[in-house]
Amino acid sequence: MSIQILTIEDDERIRTAVRFALEDEGWNVLEAETGEQALEEFDSMSPDVVLVDIGLPGVDGFEVCRSLRRVSDVPIIMVTARDDTHDVVAGLEAGADDYVTKPIAPKELSARIRALLRRVKSEDTGLAPRTVGDLEIVPEEGVVRKSGTEIHLTKTEFHLLCELSDQLGKVLSREHLLEEVWGYDYFGDGRLVDVHVRRLRTKVETDPAHPRHVVTVRGMGYKLQP
Amino acid sequence: MDSRGLPWRRLPLRTRVIGAFTLGAAIAALVLVVITYGLSRQSMLQQREESSERQFFANARQVQSSLRAEDPDFTQLLESLPSLSGSRSIIRTGDETWTSLSLTPSDLPPVLISTVLEFPQAQTMRYRLDDQPVLTFGLQMRPSAASALEGVAYFEVVPLAEVESTLESLALILLVGGVLTVLVGVGIGLWASGGLLRPLTDISDAATSIAHGRFDTRLEEVSDPDLDALVRSFNEMAAAMETRITRDARFSSDVSHELRSPLMTLRASIDVMQHRREELPERTRQALDLLNDEVIRFENLVQDLLDLSRSDSGPMQNDLVNIEELVRATLASSEATTSFEVSPNAQGALVMGDKRRLAQVLDNLLRNAEKYGGGPTRITVSSAGKNIEIAVEDSGPGVAPSERELIFERFTRGAAARKRGAGDGAGLGLALVDEHARRHGGAARVEGKPDGDSGARFVVTLPKAGRR
Repeated sequence: MSIQILTIEDDERIRTAVRFALEDEGWNVLEAETGEQALEEFDSMSPDVVLVDIGLPGVDGFEVCRSLRRVSDVPIIMVTARDDTHDVVAGLEAGADDYVTKPIAPKELSARIRALLRRVKSEDTGLAPRTVGDLEIVPEEGVVRKSGTEIHLTKTEFHLLCELSDQLGKVLSREHLLEEVWGYDYFGDGRLVDVHVRRLRTKVETDPAHPRHVVTVRGMGYKLQP
Repeated sequence: MDSRGLPWRRLPLRTRVIGAFTLGAAIAALVLVVITYGLSRQSMLQQREESSERQFFANARQVQSSLRAEDPDFTQLLESLPSLSGSRSIIRTGDETWTSLSLTPSDLPPVLISTVLEFPQAQTMRYRLDDQPVLTFGLQMRPSAASALEGVAYFEVVPLAEVESTLESLALILLVGGVLTVLVGVGIGLWASGGLLRPLTDISDAATSIAHGRFDTRLEEVSDPDLDALVRSFNEMAAAMETRITRDARFSSDVSHELRSPLMTLRASIDVMQHRREELPERTRQALDLLNDEVIRFENLVQDLLDLSRSDSGPMQNDLVNIEELVRATLASSEATTSFEVSPNAQGALVMGDKRRLAQVLDNLLRNAEKYGGGPTRITVSSAGKNIEIAVEDSGPGVAPSERELIFERFTRGAAARKRGAGDGAGLGLALVDEHARRHGGAARVEGKPDGDSGARFVVTLPKAGRR
C-alpha cells in the first residue's frame, strides 16, 4: 500500500502544485485546506506523514501540531515561510518532527519524508531490549517503560532515545544525532536536536529541569546515562 | 587649540579626577603643615626666650648686687642662682671665670664675650654647644668703684634641646597628618570619580548590550537632574531604535512570507514540468529551462535579501564550530574543486558562531571565485594571533585596489562582475560575507595574491574560541 501524505495548506495554488510534484515522487497525497478540516478528517484519512503550513488562517499550524500530538505520533513536517528561531522552535515544541522552509524543492521534501519514515534502525537489526536506570527500551516493540509504566514517545523521540542508548554513556554530537535520526548532513539545524531532547526529557526524566538520563555536555552534545 | 595634545588630557578621565583630588589634598596638607610648624616653632621659641630672658635679668641683678661686696664669693653665688630648665651660668672677670655645673670657659664663643664687653646692652646668641642647640645671654656688669675687678660679665646658657625635640615630634605628627590627608584625598578621588563615572560606565554597558542585540536594554531612571537628561535621551534613542528594528524585522518577515509562498508554487510546478520534459516540444523545453534558471536566481536573491535583513538584527545560533570541519563540509556540498590547506597552528581551531551562516560565507566566496575568478584555486586556514583566517584564492583578474572596499557593499559589483552583464547576480554575495563575518566579531577583506600572481585572495578573519 502506498504511503499517504496529508498536506495542510490554505493556498490552493501551492497545495495543487505540491500535490502534483509529490505525486510525481510516488507519494499518495491527501489535502486539507484548513487546520479545522485536517483535525476533523484526520482519523478517516489516517495519513503516514503530515505536512503542515504554519501560517494557516484560523487554527494555525502550531495548534494543529499540538492537537495532532494529543491523538497520534504521526510524523509531522512543518512547512514555514519564516525560518526565524522563534517560529522554528515554537513549531518543534508544538510537536513537529522536522521543518522545511519554503520554497523547498519537491525532491528535497521527499527526502525529508523518507528520512522520517525510516524505521528505527534497531527494529531492522532486531536489537536487544535494554535497560537504562529506570528506563526499559524495547526496540522490537517500539516501547519504552519507565519504572514499569509504558511512556508514549513519538517516532522521532523513540529514534533519538535508541540512538543515545546504542552508545550508552558516550557523548554524541548534534551533528551525529542529526545524521542518524533525521538523515541530515553536516548542515542540519542543531535546534532540531535541542528541542527534541527537551521534549524527550519531559517524558523520560523524573525531574526534566534536572535531567539524570539525557545529559547535556556543554559545547559537545548529549549523552544517555543510567 | 588641540587639547588632545596635552599629556594631561590624554590620561583617562578617572585618573585625572583622582589625580586632581590627590594634588589638591597634597597642596592643602603641605600649606597646613608648613604654617602650623612655622607658627608653633616661632611661638615656642619666643616663649622660651622670654622666660629665659626674665630669669637672666633677675639673675644678672643678683650678680650685680653681689659685686658691691668687697670680695664676692662667686662660686657660692652661682650655686644660689635659680636655674630654669637646665640653664647654666658663667661669671667672668678679666682674668678669671666661674662656671656653674659642667660648663667650661671655652663654652662661650669669643665673639659673644667681646661683644658683651664692648656694649652695655644685653646680648643674645644662638649656637650649638656639644651638638645641642643653646641660647646664651650675656650682660656687662658694673663693679663698684672700689672694686679691683674689671671686665666683669654675666652669661647664662639656656639649652634649647627640649624645644627642638618637641618641635621634632610636632614635625613628625604633622608629616603623618599630611600623608593621611593625601591618602584621604586619593580615597575621596576614587569615590568621587566612581560616582562621577558610574553613569558613563552604565551607558557604555547599555550601549554594548544593545550592540549585541539586546535591544530592550534601558538605563535606570536617576534623580540627578544633570544625569536624568542624559539617561532620558539615551532611553528615547534606544526605544526609537528598537521600534525601528522590530518594524524592519517584521517587514522582512512579511516580505519573506509573501515572496517565498509563490516561489513554492513556481518551484513545484517547474518540477512537475521537468518531470515531463520528454513530452514537451523542443521550444517549450528551452523556455522551461530559462524559467527554471530564473526561479533559482530569484530563490537565491530572496534568500540573500532575507539573510541580510536578518543579520542586521536577529540573534545568532552560538555553537563551537570546528573551522576545518566546516570548510571540508562546505567544499563537499559545493561543486568547487580546489586545494585546501590548514596550517599546523590552526588545526582543530574553534570559532563561536552559527555554522550555517559561516558555511554561507565560505560558499559565497566559492561562488564568487567561480563566477569572476575562473574558479577557486586554493583555500587556506591559518592562525593569526587571536584570529583564524580563512582565505579563498582564485587566478582571475583580481580586484583593483580602488574597488577592494567597495565590492563588499550591498548591490555593488566590481568591474569583473559588471563586464558579465546585469543578469548575473545582484551584488549581495560579498555583502553577506562581510555582514556575517562582522556579526561573528570578525571581518572580510580582499587582497592581491601573496606570490604576486594574477588573482584575488578573499580573507575572512574570525576570532578564535577557547579550546575545550
